[in-house]
Formats: sequence, C-alpha cells, structure tokens
Amino acid sequence: MSKKFLEVRGLKKYFEAGRPSFFAKDPRNVHAVDGVDFTLRRSEVIALVGESGCGKSTLALLLMGLENPTAGSIKFEGMDITHLNDGERKSHDLRRKIQMVFQDPYESLNPTQTIEEIVTEPLLVHGMMNTPDRDERVQKAMEDAGLKPADVYLRRYPHELSGGQRQRVVIAAALVLEPELILADEPVSMLDVSIRAEVINLLAELRIKRQIAVIFITHDLGSVGFFADRVAVMYLGRIVEIGSMLEVLENPKHPYTKALISVIPVPNPRLRHERIILQGETPNPINIPSGCRFHPRCPVAIASCALSDPPMLSLNKSHQAACLLLVK
Amino acid sequence: MQTTLQTVERSNPLGVRFLGFWNTFKKSRTGVLGLVMLTVIILVAIFAPLLAPYGRLETVSISDIYKPPSALHLFGTDDAGQDVFSNFVFGARVSLTVGFFAAFISIIIGGTFGLVAGFFGGRWENFIMRFTDIMLVIPDLPLMVVIVALTKPSLLNIIFVIGLLGWTTTARVVRSQTLAVKSRKFVLRARAIGASRGHIISRHILPLVMPILVVQAVLVISLAILNESALSFLGLGDPTTLSWGQMLNYAFGRGAMSAGAWWALVFPGFGIVWVVLGLTLLGQGLEQVLNPRLDTHHLMPSRPVVQNEARAKPVPSQALLEALNLSIHYVNDEGRAPARAVENVSFTLNEGELLGLVGESGCGKTTLMLALLRLLPSAGQIVDGRVYFHGRDLTALSEVEMNEIRWSGISIVFQGAMNALNPVRTVGDQIAEAIIKHIPLYPREGIPARVTELLDLVGIAADQRDHFPHQYSGGMRQRALIAMALACNPQVIIADEPTTALDVMIQAQILELLDLLRKKLGLAIVFVTHDLGIVAEMCDKVLVMYGGVTAEYANVDVIYNDSQHPYTQELLKAFPDLTKPKKKLTSIPGYPPRLDALPAGCRFAPRCPAVFDRCHAEEPSLHQIGNDGHIASCHLIERTR
Ligand SMILES: Nc1ncnc2c1ncn2[C@@H]1O[C@H](COP(=O)(O)OP(=O)(O)OP(=O)(O)O)[C@@H](O)[C@H]1O
Ligand code: SF4
Ligand code: SF4
Ligand SMILES: [Mg+2]
Repeated sequence: MSKKFLEVRGLKKYFEAGRPSFFAKDPRNVHAVDGVDFTLRRSEVIALVGESGCGKSTLALLLMGLENPTAGSIKFEGMDITHLNDGERKSHDLRRKIQMVFQDPYESLNPTQTIEEIVTEPLLVHGMMNTPDRDERVQKAMEDAGLKPADVYLRRYPHELSGGQRQRVVIAAALVLEPELILADEPVSMLDVSIRAEVINLLAELRIKRQIAVIFITHDLGSVGFFADRVAVMYLGRIVEIGSMLEVLENPKHPYTKALISVIPVPNPRLRHERIILQGETPNPINIPSGCRFHPRCPVAIASCALSDPPMLSLNKSHQAACLLLVK
Repeated sequence: MQTTLQTVERSNPLGVRFLGFWNTFKKSRTGVLGLVMLTVIILVAIFAPLLAPYGRLETVSISDIYKPPSALHLFGTDDAGQDVFSNFVFGARVSLTVGFFAAFISIIIGGTFGLVAGFFGGRWENFIMRFTDIMLVIPDLPLMVVIVALTKPSLLNIIFVIGLLGWTTTARVVRSQTLAVKSRKFVLRARAIGASRGHIISRHILPLVMPILVVQAVLVISLAILNESALSFLGLGDPTTLSWGQMLNYAFGRGAMSAGAWWALVFPGFGIVWVVLGLTLLGQGLEQVLNPRLDTHHLMPSRPVVQNEARAKPVPSQALLEALNLSIHYVNDEGRAPARAVENVSFTLNEGELLGLVGESGCGKTTLMLALLRLLPSAGQIVDGRVYFHGRDLTALSEVEMNEIRWSGISIVFQGAMNALNPVRTVGDQIAEAIIKHIPLYPREGIPARVTELLDLVGIAADQRDHFPHQYSGGMRQRALIAMALACNPQVIIADEPTTALDVMIQAQILELLDLLRKKLGLAIVFVTHDLGIVAEMCDKVLVMYGGVTAEYANVDVIYNDSQHPYTQELLKAFPDLTKPKKKLTSIPGYPPRLDALPAGCRFAPRCPAVFDRCHAEEPSLHQIGNDGHIASCHLIERTR
C-alpha cells in the first residue's frame, strides 16, 4: 500500500484564552497543539506519550474532527480530512472508520442507558438498526471486546459493571461499526493492573484480528511497552522524540524522554535506580518558553537552549528527536 | 442463544428504574411526608363534592354570617353565610388547578430555554440568558398585578400570566445542568460516532436533565400557588371562582378581622401553607434522591461500630501500629448475608516504616484503613480483631478517646479526596479549617503561620494558599491534602491511592515527597495502591490482599523475588516491566469475587492457575514461611513442605 494510512502535518490548535486585560490588543492563546507531524501505517500501533496538559487529548479530538485545527493538515487514506464538517465526515464514512475510546470508563457511559442501548447506539446513529445481521454484529463486537457471553450484560446498567467491564463496553461500542483506526485516550489508566493487561491485550489482539490501527495515548510508557510499534513523546504541544518503541526505550535521546523513562516504576526492588524527577509541572501553554520549550525544566540545558528552538533531527531512519545537544 | 437479543429488547427498564428510585425515595422522611401532605390535599380537591357538606358557593343562610366553628359548620361560616369548610374544599380545586397549569407552562418555557441555551451556546445562549436576566430583575408580583389588572381577571388569564412570568429560575437551573451533562465524556463519545444533535438531546441530555426538572417543577408549583393567592388577595382573582386567596381577600375586605372571625382567615391560609410546605418537603426529598452529593471529605463523621466478641486478649507487640486478625463486615437491611469485606488481616508498622497495601479495586483496602481509624460507614462493623497503637487497643476506646488518636496519632488522606475539595473556599482556608476541626483549642492567631508551614512542608509556595482548588493541578491538590493530614503532627499517615489519577512524573514527585516526610518527620506510612511498581520503588513491607483476605505479607524483596502465593505471582506477570519490554503481559482471567457471594474454599480458586481439589473445599489458613514474618495463605505451601 503506497498510500499513507494517516498523515499529520504541522497540525496546530490554539484555543483563545481571553484577553489579559480589557485594553490588550491581542487575545492570549493556549497553544494546546503546536506543530505536530507524524504518519501511521495500516494496523500499526503508535503510543503517544506525555504529561497531562501536553496536548495529547486535544490532538485526538482534532483527529476525530471534534475540534477544528488552527493550522496544518490531516490526511486519511490519502484524502484531506482537515476541515471536513460533521456531515461530510459522516458521508465519507469517517465516523465509522475512526473510533475513539475515552479515558474514563466511568464517565464515558451514560448512566441511564443499558449496555445494549450503548452498544447498539452507533448502529442507530448510522441507520443500521434494521440490517439483518444487527444482532450478530452486536454479539460479535461484545464478545470480541471480551464480554462473553454477551447476553449476560445486555440488560445491565454501567454502574453494575466493574471498571474493566465498562471499558470493554466502550470498546464494544467502538467495534460494532468495524473501524479501521481506534484512538484510545488513556484507556487503561483508570483500571486495575490485572485488568489493564486484559484491555491492552484485547487491543493488541484486535489489531491482529481486525487489522485495526491504534493511536494509544498515555502518560505511562510502561503500560504500552510491548504492544506499540512506535512511540511519540509529546511536550507542550510538540512531539520531541519519535521512533520505534524498542529503540526509544533502550536508547532515548531527548532529556525529557530520559526523565520520563527513569520515573516509570520498575516492579523489582533490586533494580531501584536513580530517577530523574523533573520539578514543577508542564508550564502553562499560554506562554511557551523561548528557545527549546523544555529548557526551564531540562536538567542538562545549556545557555543556547533559551535562545534557539531545536529542529527535529533524524538519528536514523526510524528515530528522530529535537534537542540542541544532538546537533553536532 | 440468538433469541436473547430480541427478548431483551422488549424488556422495559423503566419499571426497574422507578422501583429503584422509589426505594431510595422511601428513605427520605421529609420527602415522604411532603408526598403524603400533597396527596391528601389532592384527594380533597378531587373528591370535593363528596366531602363538602354544602354546595359550591352555596349560601346556607344569610343570618349565619361569621358563625364560629361548630358541629354544623366545621370551619364556621363566612361573611356571606357560606360554609367555610365547603369553600375550603372547593377552593383547593381552584388553587391547585392554577398551580399545576401555570407551573406546567413555566416548566415548558423554562426547560426549553434552558436546554437550548445550554446545549447550543453561542448567540442563542447570549440572547436567552440576557432576556432571562432582565426578567429576573423585574419583580414578578407588581408586573403580574399590572398585567392582570389590564386584562380581564379570568382564571385562564391568571394561569397564563403566572405561567409566562415564572420560568426564569427553571431556565437557569436547566441551562447549568445541560452544560454539565454536555461536557461529560459520553456526550463527546456520541458526537464521535456521528450522532445528530436531536439524538444527543433526546438520548443523553434529557434523561439527565429530567430529575432536576422534576425537582424544579415541584418548587414552581408552590410558587404559582402563592402567586395566585397574592393576586386574589389583592382583589385580582377571577370573581366567578373561589380560590383560597380569594377567600382570604373576601374575609379581609369584609370585616372578618373586626368581627373576630379568625376562622374565615385561618383555614384558607392554612390550606396555602399546607400545600407549599408539602411541595417544599417533597422537593427536598426528591433533591436528596436525584442529586446525591459526594460527602467523602476529611470531615466525614465517625461512627462507633465496634462489635467485639468476648475473647482472650492477644498480646500486642512493640510495634507502633498493629492490626491483629481484623475482620470487617458490611451489613445490610435487606436480610442478605453480610459482605465479608475484610477477614483475618494482620500487619505491623514500625516507626519510619513504609508499608505498601496492594490489591485490586474492591478487595477491601480502604475498608481496612477506615477500620483502623474507626471511620467506617454505618453499615461497616469490625466483627473481630484488634488494632493497637502504641500498645493501646483502639477497638476498645470510647469515641472521645478515639478522637484524640485520629489526626494527631493516625491521620489519613482519603481516596479521591483530591476531587472533593470545597470548590468555593481557598486551599489555605480549608487547611485552617482542618486544623481548627481537629485541634479546637489551637490559638487562632497562630493558624496562618501554621498553614504556611504545612504548605511549605509539602512543597507549595506560600503565595498559593489563597488560590482555589480549581487553580491547583492534581499533583498540587494531592500535596494540599497531605498538608491537611499533617496538620496535627501524626505519627502514622495512611495514604489511600494518592497517586492513582496522576501522571507518572507527578506520581514520582508525590512519592519523593512522602519519602522525604518520612525521613524528616519520622512518619510511618501506609501506602495504598494497586500499582505494584510504586510499591517496589519505595516500600519496606508489602501486604497483598485478595478478596478481603491476606494473600501474602512479607518484606518487599520477598514479594518480588520469592513470592509464594499464586495471586502475587500472577499480579507480577500482569504488570508491565520496562526492563523487559518484550514480555507479554498476562491478565488474570475472571474477576475478583463479590464479597456477598464468596466462593467456597480459597477466594482465589476461580481464577487461580494452580488450583487443585482441596482449594474448592477448604479455605487456606495463613502460613508462616521462614521466620522473617513472611505469611501467605495458600494450600500449596503446606503441600510443598
Ligand atoms: N477547550 C479548551 N479551551 C481552552 N484550553 C483548552 C481546551 N482544551 C484543552 N485546553 C488546554 O490545552 C492544553 C492541552 O490539553 P489536553 O487536554 O490536550 O492535555 P492532555 O495531555 O490530554 O492532558 P490529560 O492527560 O490531563 O488529559 C491544556 O493546557 C488545556 O488546559
Ligand atoms: S535543547 Fe536544551 S533545553 Fe531542550 S532538551 Fe535539549 S538540552 Fe534540554
Ligand atoms: S489455595 Fe489453591 S486456589 Fe488458593 S491460591 Fe492456593 S493454589 Fe490457588
Ligand atoms: Mg488527556
């Protein structure tokens, strides 16, 4: 397949944050997503990693067409979908092909609907309620999502299910439309460890069984290690390092990536190690720091870091990072 | 099994929903009282012709003016010699009719406006809310008086005028609820699958706005009844009907006061008060059911729940805090077997030690921690076991003595409290409040300095004490809660999942903070989590719980490198380890047991990969392994030895 499956170029999203004072000329902007590039192949899994507030969720909403980008482009299967409106998205079948699984399975299910209503809702919305294979589809989606046997769950309400089961319901509701790309925004962070593995394995399995590509958004690199092909590390609205999973884990180049990897807990007290704990939190994306946007928190920053914004450098054909220390 | 889908489709969850609603509503005494009051008066109105001894507006005898209550005239007679009781009964019809119909109009208008403003936002919202604000500023009653005075004072006109002017609060309430529902994730999810606006409103917004609308409707009805009475009292009522307001008007206007005929005034007034009171109580009851607030704050009331059996007193060790064979049950009023939430759990905690408490959600971690402080909810009871703090048996203390231990001996950071900070008070104020609450005699002038000191201890700059919780990030809020827990210089801090909702970097910061506090203040900490990695990074000892019982208890190295319980081993396999990125994670099939329906034998048996016959028949006891305090509850240990 020569055509790229998903191609994102220079994507930006600024939110207006109101004027600092009544007399100020320009409104201030929240630079939620500030120039993001990446591509994705069919049935590939990419992990999008970064701290809260780095713009991961906004990026997902842009890809879903639930927010309008300020600049840049998104191409899906060769078609420019950057500025399609709701109706156009629906008519190009994007609302079926691209599905999203949200962070919080407690919040993303309507408490007044039964599981059956939730899982069949996408079919209702897409006018597929009267297709002959409807029940079969619902059943298959639920069983593929690990809700077996399906009919045990149909009449229940979300509050009668465990967290893991709720997340499966969300996944089942996404699968029922047979999507090609799933955007999963922190799908396991609210779940217990024993169930996390299950949901991640489920997504890994779906990718093989149904050829679904997955964008896995998370703050915890640890949880996607074995399952993602590639990883993109985001900081303040930009990707600062991107590469194949193993390479980035074994040989991180950007100081931010190094810190992120160092704080991931290792489940073995004999391997307790020095951790690079960054102080403070992701700065407010209204005032992006000059030069390298990471420099106020960077443990190895040099003088020039406050002045020039490092470009993305190719270290090899599957690994890029943006740090002045790499320019040699 | 293909048939199930069809049959299920026709099932009606509404009945089930209503039953559930009724069961909760029943518990609200005010609500039930209000409902009864209202039902009585509605029945009176409906059966008015049967109840009234005389006809509607029937003059009994002109000579019987202002006769006091007697067997013949229960409520006396009025200025026209009419029976007040009969008029009261028929008046209920008019007053209630006006109330219900006017409220209906108000609710429809207010509901629509609120929904449109909240859902569509933008220009619509601006326009509607401006209009609402203007309407809200204009005092209703004078406006009604003017309009009614200008039009013909018929009942229909009055209903319309009251209805058309009474929708403003409804619009506001509905708008804010719509906004709240609209921002919830399931609405976004519906948009993501391409749902139309109509679909989202009817399937997702309305079902969640409806409860608020019902509560609002109840209040609007009572307001409408009051307004009608006021209009009638001012002589603007429909002269062809007789409402309670008009009865008052006539009585007042025709000298009931000077004639000393209190009954002509008191009874219609009583009717109005009765209905308004009934509606208000009903509204309160409904609100409680439909709008439960989360009151899980650090100021949760405590309850004496200890129910110790008489038995030999075990000897405590030298530890700072020790739990010995604790068992905690949750009882219920429905006569079902109690949920055995915690059974026979023991641990010790020494000064400066960090104990990790690990287990899946629902395995009893929080219950165990609340029991240490005797802060269990009322259904929870310590049915067996002891808790020693400095050698004192906490389960035997009085509530007053216990209060001295809470916060100043053992303190707790409640799970999820991060999101339960009071949004309208500054963080500094809330810390001050915690100090005063727990040390009532703390010198007031010393409090600001103490707050600053506490904030400094947890790494929050002094200039942020006057910020509100929403201006704090998750990590900062967690720090503020730790500061509150430190308010009375405790020796033990229980931190219940303090990092669960936080990013790895912030998690690392909080862990670093706790470690620092431990070194600086000599604190002992119980750290509750479901994250094995965090436990490995910083704990000394680990207690792994499964389904309410101890699976394994040992020092941290043993847990990770020499665990004996299949559950611990499976949990480790399920945990991602970046030092082995290729490792495929295995999940533990199935779910933790329901505590009110525990399996026979070992609680882990249905999910255990090493299960054998005996596991299903016999509950494993706690086995001591070696002499390092390593404990595990599994039949395999006996077999291998
Ligand atoms: N609708 C909005 N209006 C204004 N600012 C916004 C809006 N949505 C997001 N932001 C801001 O954009 C930045 C990035 O937000 P985003 O939600 O994408 O982060 P995130 O990495 O997904 O965080 P988390 O992991 O907590 O969800 C944040 O500073 C956030 O406050
Ligand atoms: S460019 Fe400088 S500040 Fe930015 S990551 Fe590299 S060293 Fe740190
Ligand atoms: S007792 Fe049996 S079921 Fe329980 S953990 Fe041991 S082997 Fe597994
Ligand atoms: Mg997010």
